[in-house]
Amino acid sequence: MSRATSRATSRATSRATSRATPRAMTRAMSPSTLLPSSGKVRLGLAITLFFVLLAALGPLLTAYDPQQSGPDILQPPSGQHWFGTTQTGQDVFSQFVHGARVSLGVGVVAGIVSQVISVLVGMIGGYFRGATDELLYVLTAVFLVVPGMPLLIVLTGYLPSRGMVSVALVIAITSWAGSARVLRAQTMSLRRRDFVEAARATGESRTRIIFSEVMPNALPLVASGFLFSVITAVLSEAGLSFLGLGSLTTTSWGSMLYFAQSAQAFLYGAWWWFVPPGLAIAVVGAGLALINFGIDEFANPRLRTGRSRRRPVRRSGPVAAALAAATTAPEVREPESSEPTDPGPQVRPADVAGDPVVSVRDLVVEYDTPDGRVRAVDDVSLTLHRGEVLGLAGESGSGKSTLTNAVTRLLRTPAEVTAGSITYHRRSRDGSRREDVDLLGLPDDELRVLRWSEIAIVFQSAMNALNPVTRVSAQFDDVVRVHRPTMPAADRRALAVQMLQKVGIEPDRVDAYPHELSGGMKQRVAIAIALVLEPEVIVMDEPTTALDLLVQREVLDQVMRLRDEYGFAIVFTTHDLALLLEIADSIAVMQTGRLVEYGPALELYTDARHPYTRALLRSLADLGALL
Amino acid sequence: MKYLLRKVLLYVFIAWAALTMNFLIPRLMPGDPVSLLVERLNGRIDPAAMSAIAESYGITDDPLLVQYLDYLGSLARGDLGLSIGLYPVPVADIVMGALPWTIGLVGTTTVISFVIGTALGVVLAWRRGKRTDLLLPGLTFLNAVPYFWMALILVLVFAVNLGWFPVSQAYTPGLTPGLTPEFVGSVLYHAVLPAITIIIASFAGWVLSMRNMTVTVLGEDYVTMAEAKGLPRRMIRLDYAARNAILPSVTGFALSLGAVVGGSMLTEVIFNYPGVGYTLFQAVQNQDFPLMQGLFLIISLAVIAANLIADVVYVFLDPRTRQEG
Repeated sequence: MSRATSRATSRATSRATSRATPRAMTRAMSPSTLLPSSGKVRLGLAITLFFVLLAALGPLLTAYDPQQSGPDILQPPSGQHWFGTTQTGQDVFSQFVHGARVSLGVGVVAGIVSQVISVLVGMIGGYFRGATDELLYVLTAVFLVVPGMPLLIVLTGYLPSRGMVSVALVIAITSWAGSARVLRAQTMSLRRRDFVEAARATGESRTRIIFSEVMPNALPLVASGFLFSVITAVLSEAGLSFLGLGSLTTTSWGSMLYFAQSAQAFLYGAWWWFVPPGLAIAVVGAGLALINFGIDEFANPRLRTGRSRRRPVRRSGPVAAALAAATTAPEVREPESSEPTDPGPQVRPADVAGDPVVSVRDLVVEYDTPDGRVRAVDDVSLTLHRGEVLGLAGESGSGKSTLTNAVTRLLRTPAEVTAGSITYHRRSRDGSRREDVDLLGLPDDELRVLRWSEIAIVFQSAMNALNPVTRVSAQFDDVVRVHRPTMPAADRRALAVQMLQKVGIEPDRVDAYPHELSGGMKQRVAIAIALVLEPEVIVMDEPTTALDLLVQREVLDQVMRLRDEYGFAIVFTTHDLALLLEIADSIAVMQTGRLVEYGPALELYTDARHPYTRALLRSLADLGALL
Repeated sequence: MKYLLRKVLLYVFIAWAALTMNFLIPRLMPGDPVSLLVERLNGRIDPAAMSAIAESYGITDDPLLVQYLDYLGSLARGDLGLSIGLYPVPVADIVMGALPWTIGLVGTTTVISFVIGTALGVVLAWRRGKRTDLLLPGLTFLNAVPYFWMALILVLVFAVNLGWFPVSQAYTPGLTPGLTPEFVGSVLYHAVLPAITIIIASFAGWVLSMRNMTVTVLGEDYVTMAEAKGLPRRMIRLDYAARNAILPSVTGFALSLGAVVGGSMLTEVIFNYPGVGYTLFQAVQNQDFPLMQGLFLIISLAVIAANLIADVVYVFLDPRTRQEG
């Protein structure tokens, strides 16, 4: 039910907020894009507004008192009684609009009270930790698990008088826990962020930090929690009143249903009596939930649905969303070079012995953004030779990841290859047969066969690249099973153990889960998995960035030794030019999607021709990284 | 196993809290329930029964702690007091009579709706951005439909107008309960409409939460890596995406279970289904406080037990919880 959704989506939200790129956040922050961003949200707002107006103004539209009996008994809707009449001749429309006031009123009051409790319990627990947190956590767990409705029934059963306010308070008491737990998790993650640490360091008081630093960042969750509390409260009030436990002297949607039920309205087919209140509850609930969709999507860009390809000109959320959801969002920057003239790409012939294995020709990759099309990769040509280490350097947003994703066919919408070609030059093991494969045009089934057996990948963060819930052995096993279907299970396992040993990992770790390995070990496992089918090409996307320096060095040495042993070619992406100068045969420097310099590593070092490359080298020299 | 032990301890504590809450509610609520009771029941039953009720109700002039120990003592003996409405039938007997119906109906439908909802949520996540997204507002609507209203509509259409299913009861009156084909058939026939009500009113929540989780997981690096490995699509979706996305759904079970049980109780009322919910409704109508409390206690303990089971399942699904130390 609603509360389950609220919790699970919010959990997703709290996980994802940290991942949203600053760019996507700032874009979504501006109110002009927030309001009209999605049809769902607009529909939700319209529904909510309609019922709020109905509750406020509706009673003015009707001449009948909701409780007043009349001579017309169980009349279907007519001009005189818009929604018909009840068994005692009361006007259903009048009851409906008066009921809207009560139902929504109870919902809002209970929603506010419940959310205040959630915020206090969740934030205090999440921020202070320790014994306070333990205590509040257990308290929350009790209210989370003990079923709300029966508790509500028992509590109201004992209430001496059942006014709407006391019903609302009781509902609030039974429904705050889910939201409190979500807020606790968010607070715990927020308190470790830099800006909170900074506020602590400057000696701000805890209350101030909670309310002026943490709270604003948890606001989407508070808002979403509030809306769900309102839904829960409206439903609970209806349920209670329906059982005859609400205030039966007050007309609410729930008490309408109670009287309809006890008068057996459905046996008489008096649909006009019980359809409107129930339908209204459901529609209001759906309306609030739709607004919540918007809040979730705002906080978690991945949830947004990318409609960008169909409507490129619309200035709207989904586009920004899809952009953020794509593996890399290109950022258009002014060239940072101090030298005014751009001499164009500086390309020198490579002096590598092997023949080409991948050739990229005049490749253009574009993204649709609200501000028009952005060229993430702009007319790039590269050749990777067998056994070559090709370094791809550039700052984040230079398009290097988009380029490698194009080669591995892992581009996500809205990124699109609009020109150029990528060719894989296949060669049989003995070198007798050769064949050129058009990577971009390869059908899905053939692509699947080529993947990993010919082009494998090592991702930037092995922490996220290994499936957290299966053993290391299984992550070797699935890929071998798919690509070498005839290999017996025992051989597959032996192969996994052998590959692990190649990267210096004990055989017994083959049955470990990723979380049981250190960061460096995980990256070695990822490398071992990349090697298992002895591919021709391994794309390494900043494979060492997440590791500390010593581990980085060990992993690099290992990679280079394995390259000598197996002879695969490497595309090595990094922003660390010093590293590339050391390991790469050739280096390609990218800036804002364009290739600015490309050639043998040594020549690039001794004789850089492009001002951007020279600026990079100079900054390395200033840091003392180059001797 | 430390994780599991902590969980078990937590649930033991929650169970104790529920017991204690059950003890405290009548004593802490404003007003004096016994005199309220006497006032309300005055003239309806004879004075001798009246004092017996007050006594069996456990609210005496003893200090609170003594009352509390008495309460725990009788609970340990399985003594939940005597019903007022059906005086002098023990509450425990009434609860035991109602429990199988609810566990059968609500237990089965909860599992079915979880399975349907989760599967559909995964499918909708894979197809995000396609036309199936248009189902989302509809599902949101379903998710907000009150159970009892859904029940009313289904009764109107399928029982009253079309006459396909019985309007109420759990089996045809007059049949002798037993494992006869006639009786079992009648029970299943009567359960169809309430079961459909609960499934329709509860599956949408699972769909929406599972869809959101799967969409989030589909953006994870390990799913991209699975794709780069050239694995078949089915394997990526099941072993990598769905396998990870289901974890929060299993934990989320706790919350929704409470809501599903609450909603199902109202559904039972509509169908006069002789389960715990309907019995609670009757207890409330008759101001049968001992029965009310006994039922609340049993419902709470059942939900707590279901949560514990969900957490045990979680331990098997997520190796990270099995970490030693």
